[in-house]
Amino acid sequence: MSLFFIVALPFLGALLPGLMNGAGRAACAGVTFTVSLAAFLGLMTNLPSVLAGEVVMARVDWMPVLGLNFTLMLDGLGFFFAMLILGIGLLIIAYARHYLARGDNMGEFFTYLLLFQGAMVGIVLSDNILLLLVFWELTSLSSFLLIGYWKHLPEGRQGARMALTVTGMGGLAMIGGMLILGQIVGSYDLSVILQNRELIQADPMYVPALILILLGCFTKSAQFPFHFWLPHAMAAPTPVSAYLHSATMVKAGIFLMARMWPVLSGTPEWFVIVTSAGLITMVLGALIAIFKHDLKALLAFSTVSHLGLITMLLGTGTAFGAMAAVFHILNHATFKAALFMSAGIVDHETHTRDIRRLGGLRTLMPITFGIVTIAALSMAGIPFLNGFLSKEMMLEETTHTTLFGIWWLVPALATFGSLLSAAYCFRLIGHTFLGPVRDNYPSKPHDPGFGLWGPPAFLVVLVVVIGVAPFLAEPFVKLVTASLLGGEAEVPKAYFKIWHGLVPALFMSVAAVVGGLLLMGVFKPLLRVWESTPRPEAKVIFEGLIEAAAALARRFIHTLHNGAFTRYAMIGSVAIIALGLHAWSTGTVGAPTRDPQSASVVAIAGWAMLVAATGGLVVMHRNRLLSLILIGIVGLMVSIGFVFLSAPDLAMTQFTVEVVTIILLLLALNFLPNRTPIESTVLRRVRDAGVAVAGGLATFALAYHYLLRDAVSTPISEFHLANSYKGGGGTNVVNVILVDFRGFDTYGEIIVLGIAALLIYALTETLLSGPVRARLLNRLPDQPRAGDMHPMMMVVLTRVIMPVVLMVGFYIFLRGHNEPGGGFIAGLIVSIAVVMQYMASGFAWTSSRLRYPYHGVIGAGVLIAGFTGIGSWFVGKPFLTSDFTYVRIPPFEKFELATAALFDLGVFLAVVGAVMLSLESFSRLAHRAQDKDSEHPMDIDPSRDDPPEDQPKPVTEGV
Amino acid sequence: MISADLNIILPEIILSAFAMLGLMAAVYTTKDKMAGALVWATAALFVVLAAWIGLTGEGTQTAFNGMFNDDGFARFAKITILLSAAAVLVMSEGYMRARGILRFEYPMLVALSAVGMMMMVSAGDLMALYMGLELQSLALYVVASLRRDSVKSTEAGLKYFVLGALSSGLLLYGASLVYGYAGTTLFSGIITTAQSGETSLGLLFGLVFLISGMAFKVSAVPFHMWTPDVYEGAPTPITAFFATAPKVAAMGLFARVLHDGFGQAVGDWQQIVALLSVLSMFLGAVAAIGQTNIKRLMAFSSIAHMGYALMGLAAGTVLGVQAMLVYMAIYVTMNVGTFAFIMLMQKDGVPVTDISSLNLYARQNPGRALSMLVLLFSLAGVPPMLGFFGKLYVLRAAYEAGLVWLAVLGVIASVIGAYYYLRIVFYMYFGEEQSDTLDTGGSSLLAGFLIASALIMVVGVAGMFGVEGAAQAAAATLVN
Repeated sequence: MSLFFIVALPFLGALLPGLMNGAGRAACAGVTFTVSLAAFLGLMTNLPSVLAGEVVMARVDWMPVLGLNFTLMLDGLGFFFAMLILGIGLLIIAYARHYLARGDNMGEFFTYLLLFQGAMVGIVLSDNILLLLVFWELTSLSSFLLIGYWKHLPEGRQGARMALTVTGMGGLAMIGGMLILGQIVGSYDLSVILQNRELIQADPMYVPALILILLGCFTKSAQFPFHFWLPHAMAAPTPVSAYLHSATMVKAGIFLMARMWPVLSGTPEWFVIVTSAGLITMVLGALIAIFKHDLKALLAFSTVSHLGLITMLLGTGTAFGAMAAVFHILNHATFKAALFMSAGIVDHETHTRDIRRLGGLRTLMPITFGIVTIAALSMAGIPFLNGFLSKEMMLEETTHTTLFGIWWLVPALATFGSLLSAAYCFRLIGHTFLGPVRDNYPSKPHDPGFGLWGPPAFLVVLVVVIGVAPFLAEPFVKLVTASLLGGEAEVPKAYFKIWHGLVPALFMSVAAVVGGLLLMGVFKPLLRVWESTPRPEAKVIFEGLIEAAAALARRFIHTLHNGAFTRYAMIGSVAIIALGLHAWSTGTVGAPTRDPQSASVVAIAGWAMLVAATGGLVVMHRNRLLSLILIGIVGLMVSIGFVFLSAPDLAMTQFTVEVVTIILLLLALNFLPNRTPIESTVLRRVRDAGVAVAGGLATFALAYHYLLRDAVSTPISEFHLANSYKGGGGTNVVNVILVDFRGFDTYGEIIVLGIAALLIYALTETLLSGPVRARLLNRLPDQPRAGDMHPMMMVVLTRVIMPVVLMVGFYIFLRGHNEPGGGFIAGLIVSIAVVMQYMASGFAWTSSRLRYPYHGVIGAGVLIAGFTGIGSWFVGKPFLTSDFTYVRIPPFEKFELATAALFDLGVFLAVVGAVMLSLESFSRLAHRAQDKDSEHPMDIDPSRDDPPEDQPKPVTEGV
Repeated sequence: MISADLNIILPEIILSAFAMLGLMAAVYTTKDKMAGALVWATAALFVVLAAWIGLTGEGTQTAFNGMFNDDGFARFAKITILLSAAAVLVMSEGYMRARGILRFEYPMLVALSAVGMMMMVSAGDLMALYMGLELQSLALYVVASLRRDSVKSTEAGLKYFVLGALSSGLLLYGASLVYGYAGTTLFSGIITTAQSGETSLGLLFGLVFLISGMAFKVSAVPFHMWTPDVYEGAPTPITAFFATAPKVAAMGLFARVLHDGFGQAVGDWQQIVALLSVLSMFLGAVAAIGQTNIKRLMAFSSIAHMGYALMGLAAGTVLGVQAMLVYMAIYVTMNVGTFAFIMLMQKDGVPVTDISSLNLYARQNPGRALSMLVLLFSLAGVPPMLGFFGKLYVLRAAYEAGLVWLAVLGVIASVIGAYYYLRIVFYMYFGEEQSDTLDTGGSSLLAGFLIASALIMVVGVAGMFGVEGAAQAAAATLVN
């Protein structure tokens, strides 16, 4: 059968039990069994080719760009594991059929089980390491669903969480290792990778890859220091424990180590890491197992211990060690699965797994007793049972292994581990089945039906057969070993025999069994010592670590994201400064191309004033009026700077904009408290000052650098200077740019300006008609108001100035095309003139004299500008093409008439309208509704008889 | 001449016209009563435009003297943007209506921001870039604070606006420096000046500031500060929108600038982008650990995911861009499903965002829990979900470009990040018993999106629905 079918069968078949849930339990289990059996038989059809030493391949391209192909490979090693997975799977399915209670959803269970089975088969048959990763994580996922199958068990939760966290993270780490490996070799196909031992081991990335891959293997196979999750995952139904946690899933890590053995092993790093992890796990697991009272926990830790043993064997890096490992995998799978299933039987029959509440089951459950005894003795390493054979091989191997330069370390620890192992095996038999019959079992125990004891019995038969006639297993184990070694080493010549003569391993074996028996003799006092000794509980440590890490992360993030905008801004600023420094240090700085100008006295004076104003602003910024004035000074100095740098247009714009802005801010100040309260600590202000100074210095450095160097290409101003008069008919380049070269932009801008003004108007209108109005009306000034709201001097002055300013505006407007000025600046100047009227003579007085609404002014401006643009269509030119001509109307001199001037008029009107509308909107907020419209322009007028009115009282109703 | 140009930007023109007409129509007629219909109409138009762009577009065309590109890359990004925006719009209709925040401006703002996004990914010039970016951002600023009566929402919107304006200013500064030292704003002109190893300081500063500005838009660390606040403060559908289409657009823009404009100076930006990537991945992974609010968690998750997408970009190769595109397409699909789930999280009709409310959710609603499990595994990058392939793509791209350290760090970050995704799974399946449970009902439309998204994560592993090939073709048009 094609390998694709073998892998696909469980996945496709996984649908069936779920669908057949209604058809009854037998049908459900039957169909699952059939699917598994079909896959198993399919595997067996490939047996002849595997025996012939061939490697069966199957390949379909999946994502070739990623190097991810659906490539399957069946060699001896893969066959061995696939056989274990499918074979034991069959037994488990048969067992689970009788084990699951009537109330359990069998379809769901078997669906998950088949999914898991498919994933496991996928792992062992994958030829592509990325594909292997996919199946690897699929086992994590499906095992998670299986562990969580009994959702009602609270103790299962912690276990499931740890299992998921540890194996999930390990799997992700392994992805990294696999990627590196694939990158070194240039292919993700195992068959290629396995040929490149020298290349991989010589690569500097070998060690990271090794560590990452081993992380995945160790987490999956519960090796120290990740051994703690496996026992806690045992809350799952027993068939799951037997299948996942003894026979298959935990062997996935072992499988991968075996698979990668030809290319990864043999280096000191591999030897030290793998061997010591295996040794520690072996001893630690066995030690804990002795004192566990829960049958399944005892078996779980014993599994951990045996996995450690296999890992240690693989770690030695010798061919003999590898062979011993393969043999022990086979043996362990048989006796441990049988033991788990038997534990399940005991639990099923007596309703408890606590060894302290058991004992004396020998006569009550003779069949179970027989099965457990044989399996456990095999695990303890008693001759004529398969466990003895592989354990002897292991001990033999340890006598040739020297770790950290101490020759006795490995053999001694291995013997000690075997001793402990024998001890818990004896305890398992002795405390559960031997001893007096109790009368207080939670449930009356008796042997179950064949459906439950049949599968473990079959395995026990294997245990005995291999144990008595090891030569039967020898060719197969050697075949598997050969494919594991992958041609890197010769398969050892050693024969599988029960009697090897008086070799050291025999003495160690005897010592272990005898020691185990002795240990059981003093079990009671030992238990007391064990229970009174404080020992680190791995689970607690794990949770503590996670909790500490989470707390640290929380603290870190709360400091970083405390919700304060200032902090966010600071982090952003620091990052930008750092990036700038990076650019500075990596870029080609080059020598200055311009000479610095000498500073004149005027420039220095201006600079000093600018610095003084800025510094003063920083010091006195809490007084808002003062800071506003200082801002005004700064703006003024900037305008003067423009003048100094021969940019009169900019200077005029800046200057007028400055005035308008200050007025706007003054209006806003009306609603704000006088002073900003101090809220920050000194430390924070110092820190902020540091950031600010760094930012300032960075900006300075950048500006200084640019000022001393020419831009790379010709500046665009050259073009404008050359074409301004020719094309636009004006000698003021700035104005020509505005109304001609980039007329379209300007047209868009005045529209935006108008919209902005309308928005401000709409916002203030909404405010005035809402509940805010009452608050505004009731607001009491925090300082006594001057009695004279409209001082005569100011009124007179502004009115005198008004026509003059208008004239200036008109003049600026007209000269704009050729000299500094233009519609924009003129608009601002006129606006200032009108605003002064508002300020001096009062809102009511001014607005009553207003003939055109500002909305209309904006609209008129936009329309005039638009029609000017459209006008060019009539002469067949694109929108906004400008033209100009010279006319002479006596008695005037010859002067220029340009369509641009008309456009500029539009700009002018739009600016006036927009500025006035927004200022008016703001002042309306300040303007008190109850102010009677004074018919007099001045509060105090000597020529008038009636006295000024009193300050009106605030109204309370919200209108 | 001009008609040919207009023809190329016809989808954008149609969408803009639709947005303006829709706005006017709603203002002068029934206002918010029209909102539902407008949402559906906008989503339908998005889908139609996406189909149109996908089916008719071919080759590479430029409009307005190279300011606007219509190439495979732009089309790929536009289709992703339009489809994800349509999905989020459709999902949000019922949710916002139930909470009385369904305003007619909402679909129109989304449409306008979509125009901006389409402009961004097509930009061939710094000016077009800025126009697109601002159109998108301004619409998003408003959308972020749509819930005006909520202090949190308004504050988040304000922070977003101020920081966004700051970053825009920075970007403009960078653009002007680039212009000053390259002599042109056209990417095709900049690329001839910006040669690796001999970039002038001016150009380099321009590039750095451009990157900073764009990093803000993709919320890469350390320019991410606004993200958690906005994600938490905005109504969930808006958060879903923020987490999907704008991210694609910003990444697309990022790729455009770096490859079209600075493709010959990879060495000058590779380290910066790689640094942004590492910081984002780690901060996202670490910060999400302590979160209890699922929206805030998703904010950090999106930061981490942007880190991975940036990893693809840092590679500076065709494979890198392809990886980034594949990653973004997968990311968007996952997020649509995840946010559909978050919108379904309600207790007595009131939205709940606390993760602990998911305790034993699997017992109540196994189907949705399983879908969410698939999505979370996919978000964590666990094989065989689609999310894994996205990660695999970027990791490979980085590795092949010689950024081994980046790939290894990426793997480590994904290990850390897996923790908080798995924690949610754990809550759903093995959480504590609690008395008040989440509502089981809810919109079947949202449930449909959730399940569809989860299905895609599983089924998509077989061929990725052709996204892979499309992304490759798209990347090939960008990198040359």
